[in-house]
Amino acid sequence: MSTLTLDVREVSKRFGDGETAVKAVDSVSLAVEPGEVVLIMGPSGSGKTTLLSMMGALLRPTGGTIHLDGTEISALTEGRLPDIRLRQFGFIFQDFNLLSALSVLENVAIVAELAGAGSRVARDKAAALLTELGLGERLDFLPEKLSGGEKQRVAIARALINDPALILADEPTANLDSKIGHEIMRLLRGIAKERGRSVVIVSHDQRIRDIADRVLWLEDGAFRDVVTMATDPVCEMAVERERAVRAERDGETYFFCSRGCRDEFLGGTLPDDSRHPRSEIAVR
Amino acid sequence: MSAEGLLARRSLTRNRVRFAVSVGGVALALSLTLALDAIYAGVANQLTTYVDRAGADVWVGQAGVRNLHMVASWLPASVVEGVRAVPGVADATPILYSTDTISAGNERAVAYVVGLPADATMGGPWDVVEGSARVGRGEIIVDQGFARTAGVSIGDTVTALGRQARIVGLSQGTASLVNSVAFVSFDDFQAMRGGAPVVSFVLVKVAPAASSQAVAAAIGSEVPGVTAQTRSDFSTQERRLVMDMSADVISIINAVGFVVGLAVVALTVYVATLARRREYGVLKALGARNGVLYRVVLAQSFLSVAAGFLVGLAFTGLLAFVVARAGLNLELSISAASLIKVGLFSAVIAGLASILPIRQVSSVDPAVVFRRGAAA
Repeated sequence: MSTLTLDVREVSKRFGDGETAVKAVDSVSLAVEPGEVVLIMGPSGSGKTTLLSMMGALLRPTGGTIHLDGTEISALTEGRLPDIRLRQFGFIFQDFNLLSALSVLENVAIVAELAGAGSRVARDKAAALLTELGLGERLDFLPEKLSGGEKQRVAIARALINDPALILADEPTANLDSKIGHEIMRLLRGIAKERGRSVVIVSHDQRIRDIADRVLWLEDGAFRDVVTMATDPVCEMAVERERAVRAERDGETYFFCSRGCRDEFLGGTLPDDSRHPRSEIAVR
Repeated sequence: MSAEGLLARRSLTRNRVRFAVSVGGVALALSLTLALDAIYAGVANQLTTYVDRAGADVWVGQAGVRNLHMVASWLPASVVEGVRAVPGVADATPILYSTDTISAGNERAVAYVVGLPADATMGGPWDVVEGSARVGRGEIIVDQGFARTAGVSIGDTVTALGRQARIVGLSQGTASLVNSVAFVSFDDFQAMRGGAPVVSFVLVKVAPAASSQAVAAAIGSEVPGVTAQTRSDFSTQERRLVMDMSADVISIINAVGFVVGLAVVALTVYVATLARRREYGVLKALGARNGVLYRVVLAQSFLSVAAGFLVGLAFTGLLAFVVARAGLNLELSISAASLIKVGLFSAVIAGLASILPIRQVSSVDPAVVFRRGAAA
């Protein structure tokens, strides 16, 4: 029996046919273990969201297989997918995607009710979860009355309410300021480590690397070979060392996304935390 | 409340102005139908008041005559004795009847004019508020509403059946939106008809132990050339005639109400669905089945229509209350049949109004959750 939560094998997704066909994801494989936090990074248009959609059973791959807790979800009929999404996945979105007409409590409880819980049980469970996430005083608030961080915490509670095996997060910190973003990142790591849930995050946010067990780089629909990444000390973009514009200063080598950043760096001062190259990004 | 019901209710009431417009539109549309039904039912009630209150258990008219409105019934006077001879008949009173106009000065009004024998035990006014309940030669009893409108009172003269008659009594409850009932002496009526020995109807009181139905059947079989009906059947025929005459108008107004109600609800639910298209996508992504989302849409339609129906009913009830106290010869009667009809109308409206939004929801791609856009 597999110990993997998620097992993606040679998954591809092609949109369109013939000469106009676009391969958004190309033979991607990925295995995620219980309690693991995997961060998928990559430039815009690299296929991150398409891959996340397929992993979340929102989009059917044109090739390959996806297993969740041993079940091949890529082979399930459309009729069975809603149940899988409801009970096996927890989604967290950049735009929060809370239901604007429902209160905080109702936004979370409704997902439990959809999974078959009675109204009272669902509300009690939602209240406990929201209180645990520090929203005990906000249960009756409408989403519009919440801050970005609070909205994302509601979304996290909603993602957890049915005890899913896998949390899929799409740019969870993108709309949040630095402090709140860190708070959300800590929460996500806690979910993985304390609750044993697997967490897959798609993001441009370099800060999330701090909580990830593994960072993957997706480009042109495929995970790149093992590459060493570095952070441009000016714009903080992740850049491949091998392809980056580089410069030496004080005996250290720095990597840049462009000559502009390099020139700006050489003409200015060095930030304290940019002296060290970033961790390696590995592809399994 | 179920998750679907909660979501439907909250989604509707979140935009209160839109919800109020929707409910108001539906209420207005359904009120059209309810109020018109109530008016016609009220008019039918008023038109059969004489039949219902004349005191007869069985009405005997010329063969084939089954109601009062817009008919002429002539029977030989000898029929009265024939009717009295039928077992089960306790009493029989002949009346003469015609639809005519009564006038006083410049005021003219349509009236059922009834010729009453001096010894009549049935067929006369049942609520005389001033003057006499009996009419002699050259006398008339008119409805007090007509007297007030025409500016006449006891002792004044009016013209009926082409002759002058002095008002000796004022009755109430004998007028409708369409006409009133006036009572003259049998002899005057007969003289105006050239003295022919005829009657229009024979009003029958059945013996205490006898059944009206059985007596009516017996009269019909034993007395030639007549049609005998129980009061209830006679009244029903009268109502049916009124409704048949009004059927086209009622159908048109019903259709207008239906279309307006349908358009309002369909538009409201469609707009509400469109505005929450992304949220339906979110629900799908979270694992809600299409059936759940369809029920949310249907619940929104039914909630809008149910609220509109209740407001429309309240409005029609208020209208009936006001009309009843306005001194008009108009009665609004909200019947159970009308409520059932409009209720069914409403259900059909709600169902039809959901079709487009449901199609829209079914086509929502759950992957919309990953597209950037305004979301809560």
